[in-house]
Amino acid sequence: MSRKKLVYGSLALLMVLCCCLPLIAAKHKKEKLTTPVPQMDERERAIHALNRLTFGPRPGEVERVLAVGVDKWIAEQLEPGKINDSALEARLAPYRTLRMTAAEMVENFPPQQVLKAVAEGKMAMPKDPQLKAVYTAGLARISEKKEKKNAKAAENADLLEMSPEEMTAEMKAQRQGARDHARARALDLMELAPEARTQSLAGMDADERRGFWRALSQDDRERLTADMTPLQRELLLSLENPVAVVNGELMQGKLLRAAYSERQLQEVMTDFWFNHFNVYLGKGADRYLVTAYERDVIRPLALGKFRELLLATAKSPAMLWYLDNWQSVGPNSQAAGRARPNGKPAAQGLNENYAREVMELHTLGVNGGYSQKDVTELARVLTGWTLEEPRLGGGYVFREARHEPGDKTVLGRTFHENGEREGVAALEMLAREPATARFLCTKLAQRFVSDTPPKALVEAMVATFARSDGDTREVLQTMLRSQEFWEKSAYRSKVKTPLEFAVSAVRATGAEMTRVQSVSEALNRMGMPLYGAQPPTGYSMRAESWVNSGALLSRMNFALALGTGKLQGVRFDAAKLAGAGSEAGAVQKALEGTLLAGGVSGQTHETIARQLTDPAVTGRKLDDAPKPVNQGAVAGLILGSPEFQRR
Amino acid sequence: MAITRRIFMKSGAMTVVGMAAVPGFLTRAAMAAESGQGQKRLVVIFQRGAADGLNIVVPHGEAAYYAMRPTIGIPKKDVIDLDGFFGLHPGMSALKPLWDAKHLAVVHAAGSPDPTRSHFDAQDFMESGTPGLKSTQDGWLNRALAATSTGNAASAPFRAVALGTALPRILSGSAPALAMGSVNDFGVAPRNPQAQPLANTFESMYAGSVDAVLHGTAQETFEAVKMLKAANPGGYRPAAGVVYPKGRFGDALKQTAQLVKANLGVQVAFTDVGGWDHHVNEGASEGQLANLLKEFSGSLAAFWLDMGALAEETVVVTMSEFGRTARENGTRGTDHGHANVMLVMGGGVRGGKVYGRWPGLGVEQLYEERDLALTTDFRQVIAEAAGRQLGIGRMEMVFPGFRNPGSLHLLG
Repeated sequence: MSRKKLVYGSLALLMVLCCCLPLIAAKHKKEKLTTPVPQMDERERAIHALNRLTFGPRPGEVERVLAVGVDKWIAEQLEPGKINDSALEARLAPYRTLRMTAAEMVENFPPQQVLKAVAEGKMAMPKDPQLKAVYTAGLARISEKKEKKNAKAAENADLLEMSPEEMTAEMKAQRQGARDHARARALDLMELAPEARTQSLAGMDADERRGFWRALSQDDRERLTADMTPLQRELLLSLENPVAVVNGELMQGKLLRAAYSERQLQEVMTDFWFNHFNVYLGKGADRYLVTAYERDVIRPLALGKFRELLLATAKSPAMLWYLDNWQSVGPNSQAAGRARPNGKPAAQGLNENYAREVMELHTLGVNGGYSQKDVTELARVLTGWTLEEPRLGGGYVFREARHEPGDKTVLGRTFHENGEREGVAALEMLAREPATARFLCTKLAQRFVSDTPPKALVEAMVATFARSDGDTREVLQTMLRSQEFWEKSAYRSKVKTPLEFAVSAVRATGAEMTRVQSVSEALNRMGMPLYGAQPPTGYSMRAESWVNSGALLSRMNFALALGTGKLQGVRFDAAKLAGAGSEAGAVQKALEGTLLAGGVSGQTHETIARQLTDPAVTGRKLDDAPKPVNQGAVAGLILGSPEFQRR
Repeated sequence: MAITRRIFMKSGAMTVVGMAAVPGFLTRAAMAAESGQGQKRLVVIFQRGAADGLNIVVPHGEAAYYAMRPTIGIPKKDVIDLDGFFGLHPGMSALKPLWDAKHLAVVHAAGSPDPTRSHFDAQDFMESGTPGLKSTQDGWLNRALAATSTGNAASAPFRAVALGTALPRILSGSAPALAMGSVNDFGVAPRNPQAQPLANTFESMYAGSVDAVLHGTAQETFEAVKMLKAANPGGYRPAAGVVYPKGRFGDALKQTAQLVKANLGVQVAFTDVGGWDHHVNEGASEGQLANLLKEFSGSLAAFWLDMGALAEETVVVTMSEFGRTARENGTRGTDHGHANVMLVMGGGVRGGKVYGRWPGLGVEQLYEERDLALTTDFRQVIAEAAGRQLGIGRMEMVFPGFRNPGSLHLLG
């Protein structure tokens, strides 16, 4: 057949298709959750749905989705309340802070301010013996810090904190002595059962225990606590660093949910909205406020009305703290200029931080048509939206005395003096602005469909947003019924973010993840620390932000560590995953099937196969017995392959 | 002898199938070593979050300054005077010796002319180098690499490095550029000598991948990994007496010095430092900004000392997306403003002088009656520093559409 004929043939086919498309699309519009054009085949659809709507397929999950039916499975994911998630609940059960209010966390895991208040006699020492131990240890830490400050002034710095360049030989020997001593003691402690060991450590004098921990190597510390229950570890950690318990459990919860929740779409959307309404865990009181923010504000509304979500974030302690609105005071309000009871000068004016970001990042988008004047006016509207003792975990309160009196004009609309309701009305107005719908739908399409989402798709989503009063579930449905979502070119086309990559690797291997620290540390190296986006923009969802040399190496290293069982707290049975066989080719094939649903390129397959058999690589001589294939390393290579970096 | 990138890649690919060392990258390393001495370089530092320039280089000769900043103004007695009108924040004392030695210049009321007060947009514009134009795909520092007389052809893997876990916008583009979070972690299982075959397998996988995005990055990555290994810069010790402040920024500059001294051919280095968005309790001579400035200036000063003779061939430029309101806000902090201060330090810098026209802080002199007005476009400063350090004749490629009003004569 000539080339010309082929071209003409294709053209004719294309024309036929073009004519039919609108008809097909129109016909299918009426049917529920069906895709118009035969784009991906059913198996690809199942894989694609898992790739886009979950944190990645687990072993056997593609088959399970196919058995249920892709559309039915999607419908189920859109109703997370009806999905049984008791296995996840059981995994989360040991982490107490995940169920605490911010005030309870502050009480049980006291921050510096609370400890200082107790030290100064402004707050009472708790009566509960275990809690008392936590406070006593904290007080010891504070006084040690003071001493150290004095010691530093006397140029008698702490040996364990000095860098080698700063030390003399004698100092080094001294430090080595302390380390050897701690090591010997750790070995003794290892003889004890976990509970007895925990009690023995908790029973040490606070200063002594602190010195002991610090003289131990990271590995020895790890060994000493590896077989402890989460509660035992929590007790020990709360004696040294209470806030680390709160933040560690938050991350534990986040990664356990991402990896094991059956309500995957809800978790993906929780991640999406958290990132949209980003707050930074490292900013002061937010260390204690983010847990409730994600749990009570974001997750329950992740598939709900945007307007409610916007209002809930606006009143959330985490956001009021993060973007400073709790401190903003109307310049002409009663409170302005009035000295505060603690003798500090009065806070007396506007802070426009939140007012700007709520328009730029949460609603209208940066080109959404607002001016500096609108920012200032909205800041006036939102004065009085503040917090009651945020450092003690107090909640939202509206204070009329701080509220700027008079009318304000935002985006051309006048808000008459009406206290707290002005802010509610202004935020509701922002939620209903067309620019908001476009901004949000573009962002959603960027997360689920493509870095550069098709205009028509975004417009369809915008229409649904307007019609449904900003209902996220309905907007997602529109997206999931579109042909753009199921286009073959979309298959495995999005580069995973570090979080998506790491969790999808854990899920793909079916690994048992009991402690997440090794994973969260890997995320730090890949540039995406959990709850660690400092600017209010949150993290990017586009490929260019995540593909760079250092991060790529970190991904490969994570894949190898996970595959070969070197990731602390994360285990899976590579042999089981690879099937019964030990023959290299069979192992490789089985793992490619499980980890990537067979989606490995010829190039990747050949390269790994060569690695398994090439004597130059395996170091095997001709007369050696065949070495059993290292299934873990093969798994690591597949997880680090180019194909696994996309979803 | 010119070893092109392509030839190098070919020889690199051979190692994958298990051959021992291929001399290609060693040759390259040696070449870089030869060119290391006498090669000029540019270090760009971005202060993310909008640093408060008015409290960094303080116009203590302005009465309006003190009137507008009753609680956060730096008292005259604490300011380190520079020229009778401007002075350094006391937290910047580490840089005073550089000023005295005329290695440090200040450009005040400088920045991006775009009026945006969005962190995101303003950073984007300052990194793309095209204020107001959103469609620019690449960053100006990347275009600067391509605009040098040698262009991309002479690209050594370490020619452009960003210390950090992400490749910033400023360095993205067609010229190869590395991002590394940590020199010691830069490799496949870098602490395991047995892992070489696995590294080779990854390299081969990505080399043959049709995935253009991942393929290109991986190619640059593995090339750099090999070169770094050959140069073996592990166990770095800064020059005698130099102690970098603890923290991410100090670490980044320390590793920059490490890479430069390892003769890897670093021509452009970038790093950023966050935490400048002080809306609340900014502090004056002491406090949040003061603490950050101690780390910032201490790291820069350590870098300067650590570089030793190489500092003579180096120019460091700092920038931040915009300045902050001239008046303090209602929460003893500052909100988003307009013009800012830039620092330029290096061997060839005509330091000990504050450059740029000072617009004043009177109400009618302020930008939109609230912010320091802009009198020097940041591109004017960059054009001079990058032009000199990278040997760029025509800046049109780096800053398209920018009409440079002329040289500030920052560099001698």
